[in-house]
Amino acid sequence: MAKLPVRLQVIEAAMLLGLIALVGRAAQVQLIQGGRWSTEARVQRTEHIVLAARRGTLSDRHGKPLALTQETYHVGVAPNELRDPEGDPEVLARQLHLSPADIRLALRKRYAYFAGPFTTLQVRPLRGLRGVHLEPVVNRFYPQPDLAQGVIGRVGDDGHGATGLERALDSVLTGQPGSAVVLKDRDGREYVSPARVIKEPVSGADVVLTLDAELQEIAQRALDDAVERTKADGGDVVMLDPSTGEVLAIASRRRDGAVRPSAFIDTFEPGSIAKIFAVAALLTDDLVQPTERVSGEGGRYRLGRRTIVDEEPLPSLTIADAIRVSSNIAIVKFAARLTPEVQYTTLRDFGFGTPTGIEFPAEAAGRLRLPAEWTRPSAASLAMGYEFAVTPIQVAVAYGALANDGLLLQPALIRQVKGPTGRLAYRHRPEPVRRVVTPTVAAALRDLLRGVVESGTGTGAALANYPVAAKTGTARRVVRGRYAPGQYTASFVALFPADRPQIVLVVKIDDPRTGSYFAAQAAAPVTRSMLEQALAAREVALDRARLSTAAPLPRAPGVEDDGGVVPLVVPWPYHPDTVTGHPFRTVPEVAGQSMREAVRALHRGGFRVALKGWGVARRTAPAAGDSATAGSVVTLFAGPAP
Amino acid sequence: MTLKGRHWAAVWLLAFLAVAWIVIARQTSAIRGARELAALREEHANLAGHGADLERRIRAATSRAVLLRRARGRLGLRLPADTEIILLPVPGGEPR
Repeated sequence: MAKLPVRLQVIEAAMLLGLIALVGRAAQVQLIQGGRWSTEARVQRTEHIVLAARRGTLSDRHGKPLALTQETYHVGVAPNELRDPEGDPEVLARQLHLSPADIRLALRKRYAYFAGPFTTLQVRPLRGLRGVHLEPVVNRFYPQPDLAQGVIGRVGDDGHGATGLERALDSVLTGQPGSAVVLKDRDGREYVSPARVIKEPVSGADVVLTLDAELQEIAQRALDDAVERTKADGGDVVMLDPSTGEVLAIASRRRDGAVRPSAFIDTFEPGSIAKIFAVAALLTDDLVQPTERVSGEGGRYRLGRRTIVDEEPLPSLTIADAIRVSSNIAIVKFAARLTPEVQYTTLRDFGFGTPTGIEFPAEAAGRLRLPAEWTRPSAASLAMGYEFAVTPIQVAVAYGALANDGLLLQPALIRQVKGPTGRLAYRHRPEPVRRVVTPTVAAALRDLLRGVVESGTGTGAALANYPVAAKTGTARRVVRGRYAPGQYTASFVALFPADRPQIVLVVKIDDPRTGSYFAAQAAAPVTRSMLEQALAAREVALDRARLSTAAPLPRAPGVEDDGGVVPLVVPWPYHPDTVTGHPFRTVPEVAGQSMREAVRALHRGGFRVALKGWGVARRTAPAAGDSATAGSVVTLFAGPAP
Repeated sequence: MTLKGRHWAAVWLLAFLAVAWIVIARQTSAIRGARELAALREEHANLAGHGADLERRIRAATSRAVLLRRARGRLGLRLPADTEIILLPVPGGEPR
């Protein structure tokens, strides 16, 4: 047996060796393998999470939200973690609106997953349950789901816009997701600890649309009623502000309930609503006099091998009569004075045969053939509104040019875009496309359209106190490339009010089957109803300050002869719809700019432009920096480039 | 007075305890803050969800489809014809 000191020395040596081994191993772990273990530990203890960015809000022109982003949840359940395996499934079933049997079946698995999305109100009672894990997801929420559904569109499962404006504006509405690091325990459960934000999410931009929610609702309801009443295949309504090109309402309805933005994508032969464009060409080229008459031919007119018919013939007709009673014979006779090139160019100038350029992801161009492709009866057909196809939005834009003194504007659906910080990133300004007719011709055409409502085919849309200008159109319907026997499209276009119109209203009813198929009966009363509702509504985009001056002063009703009618009560002090603001604006500096740029700058400033000379902008009168009334004419002097 | 070995050990121990206390206090405070933040986020989400639900119900209740029917049925009201709508001109107001 060894002595005590020897044994101690052995123990000490062993301990020393052990210590050296420990230090060596520590050095190996820390110094040699340190990087690997550090990475592995980080992966085990931390997790990178994506911080979802809020998708921008879509709202109507008054700020009423139409599409919002809302936090919703998917629900995961670990059955072995539940404290009350009998009671908790009942709560889950009640809150998730699932049957208890389905819940119990799902809870037989190790982990049950219920992909909602479930709202915060639904999951609120689940938050306190152990074993229930909530996975937040941002989801799109539509406060009034059926309001302008076809136009607004929907977001797909991937969170990106799938249809409509949600798709067209996806890059604007989608924000930039952020990222953060959170701590986990060894079972992968997240610690309650502050997340380390690596990158803050940036919200998407908020978009204010030109739509007016109240007008939109009026349009949708009126269209629904009309389609139901006439047992029609479907229909469209478009309301447009002619002075800005802003679309105020756009409704489409199919009989089968399909939500399709047919006002943008479905074309139809316009029929008589296109007669006004032939008259525009005739008046522009001074090819017809107001007193000039053509024979009504007793209602049947032979043109080549074709017979043109008027339903209610007159013995002789002026150009005003041709529009007022929508005479096919008279318009064909008058339009024979136009060359095919002029007829084509006029229709093309009004925007037919080409997309309007509105910010919608899909838009049909319509069909307008070149004169070289015309057949012998084409000129007559085009004058009557056949042999070319248009969309309701194109019709609204073209009539908008008549309302806007001959200036064709690009239609718009987007009024403002505000960045995540609230900074204004875009504001819509009227975009002139071209001058189609002179203001004088446009005024003459509006007068002709006024006659339609006063004593022509459009009396069904007449209002007692406010003048309306309009045109009816009843055209044979094309189905799969052929005229469908007995099927018609009833359309009606109105300018309200007739003087300085504020709304262009297009109503199209496809194949009305009950009652008359004529636009005068099928579509005109719908227009009248919508206008009355718009007048009675509180917040629609009508400038009542202007309307009040247009309306004749009402007779003060006596107490005994009021007939039970309660007049609209107007609060006092009265707040006008339009804030008048300062009437003067500063003329912008345009010297040195090209004529196009200079004219645009002046238009943006709110002025009308008269051109003198050609080339590069030299000066203006009033001069740059001077004040002039908004809407007044600024003369732009141009000359050859120096 | 010179500090002996055990005094130094006590000083180091106290220093260690102080640092450990500070670290633990900070962690506790952070965790409490994180819990409050999570609770506030939860409350915010709940309120936002409640707000959205109320917005949906208000919009549904004030939609013309519901309101007009009720106004007709319960109060006997109807939409006015244009002859029954009087727009008062604004005194001194300039039309746009």
